[in-house]
Amino acid sequence: MSGFDNLNSGFYQTSYSIDEQSQQSYDYGGSGGPYSKQYAGCDYSQQGRFVPPDMMQPQQTYTGQIYQPTQAYPPTTPQPFYGDSFEEEPPLLEELGINFDHIWQKTLTVLHPLRAADGSIMNETDLAGPVVFCLAFGATLLLAGKIQFGYVYGISAIGCLGMFCLLNLMSMTGVSFGCVASVLGYCLLPMILLSSFAVVFSLQGMVGILLTATIIGWCSFSASKIFISALAMDGQQLLVAYPCALLYGVFALISVF
Amino acid sequence: MAYHSAYGVHGSKHRTRAAPDPPPLFDDTSGGYSSQLGGYPAPGADVAFSVNNLLGDPVANMAMAYGTSIASQGKDIVHKELHRFVSVNKLKYFFAVDTAYVAKKLGLLVFPYTHQNWKMQYSHDVPLPPRKDLNAPDLYIPTMAFITYVLLAGMALGIQQRFSPEVLGLCASTALVWVFMEVLALLLGLYLATVRSELSTFHLLAYSGYKYVGMILSVLTGLLFGSDGYYVALAWTSSALMYFIVRSLRTAASGPDSMGGPAPRQRLQLYLTLGAAAFQPLIIYWLTFHLVR
Repeated sequence: MSGFDNLNSGFYQTSYSIDEQSQQSYDYGGSGGPYSKQYAGCDYSQQGRFVPPDMMQPQQTYTGQIYQPTQAYPPTTPQPFYGDSFEEEPPLLEELGINFDHIWQKTLTVLHPLRAADGSIMNETDLAGPVVFCLAFGATLLLAGKIQFGYVYGISAIGCLGMFCLLNLMSMTGVSFGCVASVLGYCLLPMILLSSFAVVFSLQGMVGILLTATIIGWCSFSASKIFISALAMDGQQLLVAYPCALLYGVFALISVF
Repeated sequence: MAYHSAYGVHGSKHRTRAAPDPPPLFDDTSGGYSSQLGGYPAPGADVAFSVNNLLGDPVANMAMAYGTSIASQGKDIVHKELHRFVSVNKLKYFFAVDTAYVAKKLGLLVFPYTHQNWKMQYSHDVPLPPRKDLNAPDLYIPTMAFITYVLLAGMALGIQQRFSPEVLGLCASTALVWVFMEVLALLLGLYLATVRSELSTFHLLAYSGYKYVGMILSVLTGLLFGSDGYYVALAWTSSALMYFIVRSLRTAASGPDSMGGPAPRQRLQLYLTLGAAAFQPLIIYWLTFHLVR
């Protein structure tokens, strides 16, 4: 009897797998029914307890498998992006908005009074050409012994502002200030020829007056041609050309006297 | 038998301990390591991405919204200010000109004596724009004439070896002050005479600006033919301008309802018109005599 009690306590203290084997042995022996029943209950609990580790293991392995690729993705993704952006970077001139072909075409359109103005190129407002021409005009005046950079800038600004107001008041469609400044700046190119002549010759005689009038007409005709094509002002080219002639007349006045 | 069974139990204990223990220990440790490795960088990456998104999108949206609101406020302010001071549509009316109108108007300014009909034409109580009505005043000719006068002054002074860029600014400022004073005087006269007419500030500005056409003709003639030519041209342009202004102001001052108004008021209007016209030659001479020598 005491031996049986010791055996029972040993069964409880030990792990459940041992209990299973002992149960099998009892079945083989065919000992008491109630003992076998108790052990059967223990078997169920043992099975229930063994299931969690089995279920836990695949979950952990799945999470591991999922996490490893995510670990790999972060360090690799930025490098291809940087490489792609660097390779597909647009040219520096394109970023700065300077298109030399368009500048050249605009210059030719200005220099050739009878050439038809291309609306798409003319409507593009770039101020690189005008700034260069303004500086060239001031430089040629400097060669003639006149330091008039301030007046050239001031008259340019006032002239562009005045033309901007006038064209907006006269035309049904509006016009941007950049477009006006661009067109007037490009048409300043023949004026640089006049100031270059003024460096070598004196333009205060009759020949000088005729040359000045011709170049002013050239500048204003080109500018009015571009404005007419851009603003669709029919039958008003003379009305647009006259204020342009006034503006270039002021520049001519600075060149001649 | 009890001893034998006890030994068997011990043997089974050892076997069961060895059999199930290693797999769960290994699985547990590997699972823990994988979870840690996966957990540490993955949440960090997620946090970093979310932080980037939070920093990028809200800031960009806020900046765009702020800029848009500032731009719209600026537009509204400029629009209100512009409408308060100047009505762009009214100005567009005065600049609605074409080449034919300008040519005819210039001819009228030089030789106004043969023109018969001086009334402004109306369409449903709205005056027709200048391109459709020769009698309607415009601001294109005064503006261009004003700038041409300044340019011509510079050229004349240049021929006399007195040119400098400051001279252009001085001539422009002087002429601008004269225009301002003349418009103020006309407004004051109209107010004192209690004349109710269709004349607005822009109308007075236009009529006072037409004399610059006469100035240009006088200065050009003076440059070409000397002082004698200048005085002949001055006399001609002054008389033409006086005639033009008397007829235009008289017709404009009476307005559509010409029958209204008592006789003393009409007489006062006539005196005001004659005074304004008589003042034109004085201004023309004052602004041009120093350019011709």
